[in-house]
Amino acid sequence: MSDDIFPQQQKVRHAELISPPNRLKEKVGSGGIDENVLQKAQELLERNTINFDPIANMLLDLLVEAIADAKSGALKGEDALGAMIYPAMQLKAQGTMFHYPLVSDISHILVNFLETVEDLNRDVLDIVVAHKMAIKAVLASQLKGDGGKTGKELREALMEACGRYYRSKKPQ
Amino acid sequence: MPLCSFFIHKVIMTYQFKHMTVLLVESTRAMADLTKSILMTFGVTDIHTAFSMKEGFEKFRALEPDLVIIDWLQEPDNGLELTRRIRSDKQSPNPFTPIILMTGYSQIKRVLMARDSGITEFLVKPFTARALYQRIEQIIEMPRYFVVSDKYFGPDRRRKRDSNYAGTDRRADRQPEPYSSPERIKATLSAAEKAREILRKHTQDSSKET
Repeated sequence: MSDDIFPQQQKVRHAELISPPNRLKEKVGSGGIDENVLQKAQELLERNTINFDPIANMLLDLLVEAIADAKSGALKGEDALGAMIYPAMQLKAQGTMFHYPLVSDISHILVNFLETVEDLNRDVLDIVVAHKMAIKAVLASQLKGDGGKTGKELREALMEACGRYYRSKKPQ
Repeated sequence: MPLCSFFIHKVIMTYQFKHMTVLLVESTRAMADLTKSILMTFGVTDIHTAFSMKEGFEKFRALEPDLVIIDWLQEPDNGLELTRRIRSDKQSPNPFTPIILMTGYSQIKRVLMARDSGITEFLVKPFTARALYQRIEQIIEMPRYFVVSDKYFGPDRRRKRDSNYAGTDRRADRQPEPYSSPERIKATLSAAEKAREILRKHTQDSSKET
């Protein structure tokens, strides 16, 4: 293969490949696990009775604190965004696991929004607050499952709010 | 072995997860409990939990688990930093340990950050029992080579090999930022040396057994 196909790409380091001992395979052997075990594990996951409220409230408190710090200027730029993204990500991760997929959906929209905004301003914070209020409302009304028509409208409204923000930032 | 016994053995043979040790580093107890109960359903009995990077690394050193499952964790704790310590810290007992990062992040930039820190598998939360099992199965049946270079030490980050690739050196196209400091390079090289030692020891042990 010719070396001058990508002349700008300089060889910067030597890489060595090694094959480490597969300790796990040595211990557990072969054969996989029974399909029934997987089904049982999934049922256990779906039927867990862990109360999501205290977890969600703790994460919402973190989000509220991050919003307040961003508003007051105590946190700026990436630090402020990071402080808001973390609880939103955890709400997304855990909502569905504890029977609140709508909380996961709303948080997913928020995480995607915060991961793509270029600067932190009043408009961004208003959108974050809207998501926070929506999550609070879902929890307060114990809206488990996907939330039906209400859930659909909520998701669409929040996505539209994010869309409006992006459109306002688009160069004319 | 009689033929019928052979077939019965083949039919009932499954992974003996009771022989493995798992360390679970989670940010919330509820999530840790849930993951633990799924692993127990799979047959894993030796499961340890930690709730911070510091506690996670201490338990990793003490237990030398066969598998580590890590959450992204909240700053200043950081699941990626814990991964780097497991791979590069002089006190790490086994830098080859498979690591599954379970996180709510799914954006590509986060996946790349996690990959460059040295994780073995990435699992997006919320997850299913099957998805978790598939990551474990992948680690058991298709273990990755480890790459040792002056900038990176960890599982080979390339899942697919592109036969149409026309460049001169596939590895030269990116330089993961976390490994760019002199301290990081030094730590990486020391981890690589340690990895070679473990490998040498393992080879010697295996030859003694045979």
